[in-house]
Amino acid sequence: MTLFMQSLLNGVLMGFVYALIALGLSIVFGVMNLSNFAHGEFVMLAMYSTFWVSVLGGVDAVATAVITFPLLFLFGALTYYVVLDRTLQGPFVTRLAVTVGLMTLFRAVAQLLWTPQARALPYSVIQGNLDIGGGLVIIQSRLISAAISMVAIFGVYLFLEKTWPGRAMRAASDDVEAASLMGVNYRRVYALAFGLGSAVTAIAGALLMTFQQVSPIVGLRFGLVSWAVMCLAGLGSIPSLLISGVLVGVTESVAMAFWDPKARSIVVYTIFILVLALKPRGLFGKK
Amino acid sequence: MKRSGEAKPVNVAVLMSLTGLAIALAMPALIGSNQHTMLLAITVLIYAALATAWNIIGGMAGQLDFAAGAYLGLGAFTAGTLLIRWNITPWLGMILGGLVAGGFAVLIGYPLFLFRVREVWYSIASVALVEVLRAAFLLWDEVGGPLERYLPFYSESLYQSFYTMRFRSYVPLYYITLAILVAALLANQRIGNSRLGYYLLALGQNEDAAEVLGVDARSCKLKALAAYAFLSGAVGVIYASLYGFISPAFFSMNLSTEVAILGIVGGMGITYGPLVAAVIMVSGREFLRANLSTQMETLYLVVYSLALILVVLFRPEGIATVFRDAYARVTSRFAGDQDVA
Repeated sequence: MTLFMQSLLNGVLMGFVYALIALGLSIVFGVMNLSNFAHGEFVMLAMYSTFWVSVLGGVDAVATAVITFPLLFLFGALTYYVVLDRTLQGPFVTRLAVTVGLMTLFRAVAQLLWTPQARALPYSVIQGNLDIGGGLVIIQSRLISAAISMVAIFGVYLFLEKTWPGRAMRAASDDVEAASLMGVNYRRVYALAFGLGSAVTAIAGALLMTFQQVSPIVGLRFGLVSWAVMCLAGLGSIPSLLISGVLVGVTESVAMAFWDPKARSIVVYTIFILVLALKPRGLFGKK
Repeated sequence: MKRSGEAKPVNVAVLMSLTGLAIALAMPALIGSNQHTMLLAITVLIYAALATAWNIIGGMAGQLDFAAGAYLGLGAFTAGTLLIRWNITPWLGMILGGLVAGGFAVLIGYPLFLFRVREVWYSIASVALVEVLRAAFLLWDEVGGPLERYLPFYSESLYQSFYTMRFRSYVPLYYITLAILVAALLANQRIGNSRLGYYLLALGQNEDAAEVLGVDARSCKLKALAAYAFLSGAVGVIYASLYGFISPAFFSMNLSTEVAILGIVGGMGITYGPLVAAVIMVSGREFLRANLSTQMETLYLVVYSLALILVVLFRPEGIATVFRDAYARVTSRFAGDQDVA
């Protein structure tokens, strides 16, 4: 029973981070109607950025987000302008294919530059264990990661609701022509959206590096998980993303604890495929 | 004059196909005893067959599928397990492997296509499919497991060798793979020129409009999917025979992505497109792999992905159209001469 509660706890905490990653993806999907296959790779790049800034700058993992957030924002905007902008007028397949190319490119470049060897950071300030009784232990870094993810998600929500660029993004996602008539430069909004979607992964990446390793192939896992979370949530609200993130996190955690660590993929992705097949609008979504 | 000018392109196309086939058939003789080159040739054929089969679902039905590894692996494990456990010949195993792969594809595809799920979700689901199968076969100790399961070693007896499809030289496998490639090309031709082909074309352009006009989207897509998966499963058996073992590593995302890239870069919907892409890009890859250190061989992935991005941005019809346009210009010049004469 304790094992179940413990894995439940871990899953919930991880779920918040997953929700944050999925948020980045859904911003791009919602605003630009672009399926970013390379989103997981952005997480991977964010994790590597965290690693290198931390190692070379002597900065703690969480603090690196201050540097990596704008860095990844710029990188995302740049990627948009250089590659994605052109594909907007073309067929859907083209846009998808380009992001697939980006996914493979990022992974290959990462492997070339940094070798397939896994990298981890030394102890972060937020490391440690909390004993909350009943034989349950919370790993402090995971708890703080979850908390910061929540804050970040709330921050993005505020941005989308209250600021002019945020509202422009939401307008573009609703009806890009009408938004253009209202004076919204849709290409700039798209660049902003893609930059924001990528920058969000910077926070998630920094958090992940406090308790995970990075290697060039981790992108696939985070990419698929964020798609699974987004599918479960449907194109609805941010709270639904949070709940879906937690659901995925818990499912993964329990499966790994009770079946086999390798069973992670089977359970999470089978549920994803099932939800896709049986309830394509997600558990909460209104498409 | 005009009539013979019009008839010429069709005949020349057939002539070129036959020439290509003749060269392909003669290839082992041309290569001689260089095993390394022979292996390269088979690898090119394998990817060409996979990509040509992919064209049916990707180019014609317009679904970007990333599950080639799933179907390849299923075919390999079906035939491999049948051979290892019950000594059933892979000749039969190829058919069964293809059927298992095709059946599985339809099983997954049916609900996915049922609700007219947006295309991208199908692509994501296909990625997930490869990962699920890889993990499943890793954990399934009965049939899979983390270690490779070796196929019977090649035998001195010609009959035994033939029966188990384990040969001393690469030549027989070359011809078997060539046969599958030809089958895939013919499938492309047949489907492309059939009613199903036109339905798929319509679906690719505008699914909703096609459905209104009475095209059964789901059934058409499922048929394309089944054909592609069956062929991929058959190739999987060759793959296993080539490596001499079966392993969950066959359910590879890298391979699946490469197949899709070849299909897209070659020219979606063009029968010979993936073949052209495979010949150029897989040879290049093997060249890089042979001549660079293990670390730098990842360079081929960089080249692949850049090729994909560049082709999609600047020549989305595919690189095969470069040849096709050049060919058209050449033949029209001849036709022009004909008219003048």
